[in-house]
Amino acid sequence: MSTTTRTAVRDDAALQHARMPEPIPGERPTRGIPFGRLVTVELRKMLDTRAGRWLLIAVGVVIAAALTILFVQGGGDHPFGDYLQATTMPMAILLPVVGIMAVTSEWSQRTALVTFTLEARRTRVAWAKVVAALAVGVVAVVFSFALAAAAHAAAIGLRGAEGDWTFTWTALLGAAGYVLLGLLQGLGFGMLLRNTPAAIVLYYVLPTGWSILGSLWSQAEKAGEWLDLNRTMNPLFLGELTGQQWAQLGTSVAVWVALPLAVGMWWITRAEVK
Amino acid sequence: MITVDHLTKRYGAFTALDDVSFVARPGRVTGFLGPNGAGKTTAMRVVAGLTPAGGGSATVLGRPYAALPNPGRHVGLLLDASAQHAGRTGREVLTLGAVLTGVDRRRVGAMLDLVGLSEKEANRRVRNYSLGMRQRLGIAHALLADPEVLILDEPANGLDPAGIRWMRDLLRGFAARGGTVLLSSHLLNEIERVADDIIVIGNGKVVAHGTTEELLAGSGTVVRSTDDRALEGALRAGGVSTTGVATGGLLAETDPETVGRVALAAGVVLRELRSGDERGLEEMFLDLTAASAREEVAA
Repeated sequence: MSTTTRTAVRDDAALQHARMPEPIPGERPTRGIPFGRLVTVELRKMLDTRAGRWLLIAVGVVIAAALTILFVQGGGDHPFGDYLQATTMPMAILLPVVGIMAVTSEWSQRTALVTFTLEARRTRVAWAKVVAALAVGVVAVVFSFALAAAAHAAAIGLRGAEGDWTFTWTALLGAAGYVLLGLLQGLGFGMLLRNTPAAIVLYYVLPTGWSILGSLWSQAEKAGEWLDLNRTMNPLFLGELTGQQWAQLGTSVAVWVALPLAVGMWWITRAEVK
Repeated sequence: MITVDHLTKRYGAFTALDDVSFVARPGRVTGFLGPNGAGKTTAMRVVAGLTPAGGGSATVLGRPYAALPNPGRHVGLLLDASAQHAGRTGREVLTLGAVLTGVDRRRVGAMLDLVGLSEKEANRRVRNYSLGMRQRLGIAHALLADPEVLILDEPANGLDPAGIRWMRDLLRGFAARGGTVLLSSHLLNEIERVADDIIVIGNGKVVAHGTTEELLAGSGTVVRSTDDRALEGALRAGGVSTTGVATGGLLAETDPETVGRVALAAGVVLRELRSGDERGLEEMFLDLTAASAREEVAA
């Protein structure tokens, strides 16, 4: 069989009809994307999806409900510490999901493909996520303190409650640490597992797992003193920490926050992005 | 300019890329043609730094992709139109890209307009986009930061005929301005209408490459010998250009007699010598696709 000789039929004639994007004037960049811009974008990505927004709305709703209960119950007569707990706890419990999803959505929604081609230095992206999550945490903590103070003041002014403004600095530090460490732990679990349901389930099951294990097996109970974040962080709320308590806190943070983050980051720099 | 040099990639026993080399030049549209699973996507992913190479190297504009400062301003990529967050609007996807690459936000609107996504469509979430709309969004994203190089994996997928025509015009215009375009497709007639150069890949190997005219003409002489490399050297020394052939051997841009004389002078034993015009690009490509097409039917 002989094929007829063919010449390429290209549409050069149509060229004048094609609309082309405007060129951007000036030189092309010779320097990489500044870190601050990466953080800005990561922050925006945490908040610009429905999932992110609903999560924050959920935090708001739970806080509002907790404050309403405090306000109504017993004539609103509760110390500031109780109000602080009502605003901080919902954040400490729910915000880690923001950290988890900041990482896992890159894989489940496959946006990592775009993220890592616009910034090929993957560790910088990972660090930008850490900084962005901490920024969310810091804003949340400041907001929760202010909200607790406002609610307590309102209870005094409107409900005639007796004011009790006593609090310890370690308690404030504990509340802030709770929120921030939770966010970082969420990020770490996200980087390690890269799967939203798995990371969320593990994050929430872990503390319960400790208490179940601890009740069944005394060795686990002992290990929990050093490894169960819920237990090691508890002294922060109560006041002064002993040297051993700091060591226990440090150990548990190293195992559940620093280690997942380190292993997760190592993996991210090596992984094939699908 | 994209340079791929002896690229190899294995997944266990499966060889996705086997010593792949090619160059995509500025001012030209380079078509990357091959059946599904031939290794086109893998090669493009290695070029973009998403998949680590097993061996060999790939550079864009003379550097490895990871060494490009603010890569979006140099290279526009569309590797998978579905790889966008389903919960973001099209406009938000482009806005994130604009902020990250540091280009004027007004470009977002201009790009949406260019690819024909209306105001209303741009404000819908990507979840509700058709494949064609996702491709258009992906092209807008690739062009957003005014790159010099475009790498597009199957960009015509999901586009209607008018859309495919529009894409062709766009890519030819981009190359005419001096840009480098590398696009892949598994459809020969799509590639031959837009590409200046064609690279044919099958089972992870480059089986043919050359200008579209050369490959489509299918003329010349197919020759096989006991030492193709030596013969190729001798032919090229004599000013005859050659290309590799799918089934082994060479396609020489001359008549069989000349090849025979060169082989005689070089002392190379010939095993096959025939006029190449009975075996055009289309047939070669059909041969290549037949195997994977059968697998698809069986699956």
